[in-house]
Amino acid sequence: MPRSKNWSVLAGFAAGLTVMTALSGSAFADTTTLTFLVPSGEENVARAQSLAKAFEAANPDIKVDIDTRPGGAEGDNLIKTRLATGEMSDIFQYNSGSLFQAINPQQNLVDLSGEPWQADVQDIFKKVVTAPDGTQRGAPIGTGMGGGIYYNKKIYSDLGLSIPKTWAEFMANNAKIKAAGKVAVIQTFKDTWTSQLFVLGDFYNVNAAEPDFATKFTGNQAKFATSPAALKGFEHQAEVFKDGYLNEDFGAATYDDGLRKLATGEGAHYPMLTFATGAIKTTYPEHLGDVGFFAMPGDDATKNGLTVWMPDGLYIAGSSEHADAAKKFVAFVASPAGCEAQTAALGVTGPYMVKGCALPTDVPPAVADLLPYFGENGAASPALEFVSPVKGPSLEQITVEVGSGIRPPADGAALYDEDVKKQAQQLGLPGW
Amino acid sequence: MSPQRRYLSGLLAILVSTVVFVIPFAFILLTALKDKKESALRSFSWPASFHLWDNLVQVIQARDYMLLTAFLNSTILTVVSVTLMVVFGAMVGFVLQRRPSIWTSIASFFVLVGLIMPPAVVPTIWVLQSLGLFKTLHGMILIEVAYGLSFSILLFRAFVATIPRELDEAATIDGAGPLQLFFRIILPLLKPVVVTVIVVQSVAIFNDFTNPLYYLPGKQNVTVQLTLYNFQSMFDTSYNLLFMNVLLITIPPLIVFLFFNRQIVAGMTAGAVKG
Repeated sequence: MPRSKNWSVLAGFAAGLTVMTALSGSAFADTTTLTFLVPSGEENVARAQSLAKAFEAANPDIKVDIDTRPGGAEGDNLIKTRLATGEMSDIFQYNSGSLFQAINPQQNLVDLSGEPWQADVQDIFKKVVTAPDGTQRGAPIGTGMGGGIYYNKKIYSDLGLSIPKTWAEFMANNAKIKAAGKVAVIQTFKDTWTSQLFVLGDFYNVNAAEPDFATKFTGNQAKFATSPAALKGFEHQAEVFKDGYLNEDFGAATYDDGLRKLATGEGAHYPMLTFATGAIKTTYPEHLGDVGFFAMPGDDATKNGLTVWMPDGLYIAGSSEHADAAKKFVAFVASPAGCEAQTAALGVTGPYMVKGCALPTDVPPAVADLLPYFGENGAASPALEFVSPVKGPSLEQITVEVGSGIRPPADGAALYDEDVKKQAQQLGLPGW
Repeated sequence: MSPQRRYLSGLLAILVSTVVFVIPFAFILLTALKDKKESALRSFSWPASFHLWDNLVQVIQARDYMLLTAFLNSTILTVVSVTLMVVFGAMVGFVLQRRPSIWTSIASFFVLVGLIMPPAVVPTIWVLQSLGLFKTLHGMILIEVAYGLSFSILLFRAFVATIPRELDEAATIDGAGPLQLFFRIILPLLKPVVVTVIVVQSVAIFNDFTNPLYYLPGKQNVTVQLTLYNFQSMFDTSYNLLFMNVLLITIPPLIVFLFFNRQIVAGMTAGAVKG
C-alpha cells in the first residue's frame, strides 16, 4: 500500500532528525570556552571578533565564543530575562549609566573594583559602572562619543562660514546656508530617537549654567520647564523649525536619509551622536572627509563644551562558571593591546576610556574634531542619563512634537517633567 | 455572471495579488541586488550595478557560516514539531470526539486554557532548566509543540466529527485494534486537516522569532529568523545584506509550497467536498 509506505518514510525521517538533535552539544576537553554576548550589528561583531582573536592568540587555553542579541527594548528584555534565569553568557556588553543600574548590578554582576587595570580606566567612565554599593562592576569597551552637530565642511568652506560657538552664531550660519539654497538643519523624525539631540546634547551648557541641575533633577527639585538653562534645548528645537531651516521631508526622513543628506552636501547640519561616523565610513567612504563635528552651541562662547556619551560596559555575569578566565578577557579589553585590537577592526571612532591607548594620527575629520574636547584642557561633561538615573521613556515623542511645531517648547518641557515622574517613582527615588 | 464581469473580477484579483505579493517580493529582490550605498536609499528602483554574488557570499559567510547552521536548526525544529503536533493532535482530537466522558471535558478545558493563557517566559525557562532541556533543540521543539498543540487538537476534533462512526464500527468488526483503527482508517481520512495543520504550523514555527530568541540562546542554536539581526542595528544597517538574507530564508518555504501546491490544494478541497 503506497500510502502507508509514505507514512513510514516520513516517520523515519522525523525520527532521524530527532536523533540528530541529540548529537549537538559535545564536551570540550582542556580548553576553557567563554561565551561573549554582544549587541548585533556589523561594528559590534567586528570589534568582538577582533578582540577575541587577539585574546586567543595571547591565551591559547581560552576560547571566546561570540553570540549576538538584538538592541533596543528587545535587547533590554533579553538581558534581564537571562540574568534572572542565571543563563547569562560569561561576559556581555551592555549600556553603562542608567541602563546599567536597571539590571541590578550588585546582585547580578561580578565585582571588578579590585582589578589592577582599574587604575588605567578614566574616572569619568568609572562613575557610570559603579553599583549603588560603590563597587565598579564593568570595564569600558568601544570608544566615547559626543552628542552635538555634524556639519558639511564643503558647504562651510564654500560659504566662508566658521564653526559656531554660540547659538546666535549657529542661527546666523543657518540663515546664510538657507539663503544659498541648501538645507540648514537636517531632521529625521521617521526614526524618532534622532529627534532628541537638541535637548540631550545641550546638557553641557545646562551643566555650565546650573552646575547642580543633575542632583536637583534627581531629587525632584529642578525641572526642565522651570530651569531657564534646561528649557533652552526645547526652545532651540522649536526655533530651527519656526525659521524654516529644516529639510522639507523632516517628518518622514530616516536616519539613513539624514546621513546621506549630510555626507553628500544636501544639508549642512545634522544633530547626532558621533556613533554615526562609523556608518558614514562604511556607506559613504568617499565623503568621510567632508564631514566635521562641533559641540552643541550654547549662550556663552567661552563656556562651550561637549556633552559626552560613555561607551558600553563589559560585564561578567555572577552566574559565570569561568569567572577567572573571564576576568583575564576583561583585563585584556581594558588594556592598550585591547584598544589596538579594536582600532584594527574599526579604525578610530572616538577616544578610548583607557589611559595609554594611542590613537593613530590619520583619523577622519569628524573624529579629529571630537578629540580636543576629551583632551587635557577639554570641556566635556557626561550626558544627563549618566549622572542621573531619571530618564523618561517618551522624550523622543515629545521632541518630535516640539520639533514639528505641534507643541510649544515650554509645554513640551512640562510634559517631559510629567513623563520622568512615573519613571522616578518606579525607581523609588527619594523626593518623588 | 456575464463573461465581461468574470474577466473584470479576474483582472481585479490579479491586480490585488500583484500589489500584495509580487511588489513586496520584487522590492526584496531588487534591494538584495544593490550595493550598500544604493540600498540605504530604500527606493523601488532598478539597481545601478548588480551585486548578487557578492551579497550572497557575504550573507552565507557571515559569522562563520551561521546561516547554514540556522537552516539546519530551523528545518529540524519545524519538521519534528509539526510531525509531533500532527500525530498527537490527531490522536487527542479523535479520542476527545469519540469517547465523551467526564475526563474528556476536563481535557477540553485544559486544551482551551492552552489557547487562552499567554505563556510566561521566565517560569518556562525555570521548568526547562530543571528538566535539563534549556538551550537544547529538544526543549525548543517541546515548547513549539506545547504552543501549537491546542489549536491543532481543536481542528482535528471538529474534523473527526464529520467522519461517520459506522466506519469505526465496520473496522472493529473486521478485527482492527484501536491503534490499527486510528492509523489505517482514521488518519488517512484526516488528510485535508493534516495538510491544513502542516501548512499553518510550519509557517508559524519557521517564522517564529521571539521564542527561539528567549528559549534557545547560544551561537550553535541559532534559527533562521535570528540571523536577520546579523545585519541590523540602531546605527548601522546593511540593507542589501539584510534583504539578501530575507530572500534566502523566504525561498525554501516558497519552493516547498510550489512543489506541494497540488497536494495542499487537493487536500483542502477534498475536505470541502467530503465535509
